[in-house]
Amino acid sequence: MAMSVCMFLLLAVIGLAFDLGRVYIARNEAQVFVDAASLAAAQQLDGTASGLDRARAAVQRLPNRWNLGTEPFQGVQVEFGPDSEHLDAKPRDTAAVHFVRVTAPDNHLEILFLRAVGGPDSFTVPAQAMAATNPVRLAE
Amino acid sequence: MKLGLGRTKWQKGHAMLELAIAAGVMLTCLAGTFQFGYTFYVYNQLVTAVGNGARYAAQRSYRTASAADIDRGNAAIRNMVVYGDAQPSNDVAPVVAGLKPEQVKIEWIGKEGRAPDAVDVSIHDYTVNAIFRAFTFDGKPFVEFPYIGRYAPAEREP
Repeated sequence: MAMSVCMFLLLAVIGLAFDLGRVYIARNEAQVFVDAASLAAAQQLDGTASGLDRARAAVQRLPNRWNLGTEPFQGVQVEFGPDSEHLDAKPRDTAAVHFVRVTAPDNHLEILFLRAVGGPDSFTVPAQAMAATNPVRLAE
Repeated sequence: MKLGLGRTKWQKGHAMLELAIAAGVMLTCLAGTFQFGYTFYVYNQLVTAVGNGARYAAQRSYRTASAADIDRGNAAIRNMVVYGDAQPSNDVAPVVAGLKPEQVKIEWIGKEGRAPDAVDVSIHDYTVNAIFRAFTFDGKPFVEFPYIGRYAPAEREP
């Protein structure tokens, strides 16, 4: 009995260190990716439909990876809009588009130890960032 | 032969053997937990540092009046990754223990003679000493940011 309680606690501690450590890294990697992706997309916006296509392609081209730098980002969503409130994946008025929002929603991290003590099988680590066509230069 | 608490000599021997096995397993697990936990913690700090450095590089003016100016610009970016400051004072500690500017690799993507398209920042040959085992990161973490800064081919680094 005492042994099984100890093993349970041990697995929980290992799970906290191992699985939560990976979750925090994945969250950080995903945020860095969407930051870069939103800037790459905003750079391509020129008020035309082809500008939107180039923006989507720029996001796809980014080589940043997640899960300790091993996996490419899947299912990345790119939305455009005239302001930060009204965003759409396929906007009708392309000339009015000045904002782009990139979301990396499908980063499912498999949980290895915490699930043995009742935790989830996987953990989703989404990230989102927004950029505009005329960013303020912050560094010289 | 009976010992204290009504245990026989053989029972006491069993308890010690059990303790030895259990302690061995527990210590191995705890060592592994520390090893991976600490390594993940350091890796997470590196991801943050590289991301911040790449973001700074992407927004910074790219001055290419001479090769020395490009080197000075790259040195400022390396300082941003390692110290969180482009021009750190002498007594400032690195944001990640043991990280040195020469372990930060910067690569400008694009054609020569025009503004870069992107900048790649990565960590090379950095070893995390997790006591029980050392892990070396070579080429990871890696981050690419599109270049959105000002291209200044005739300017010199201040």
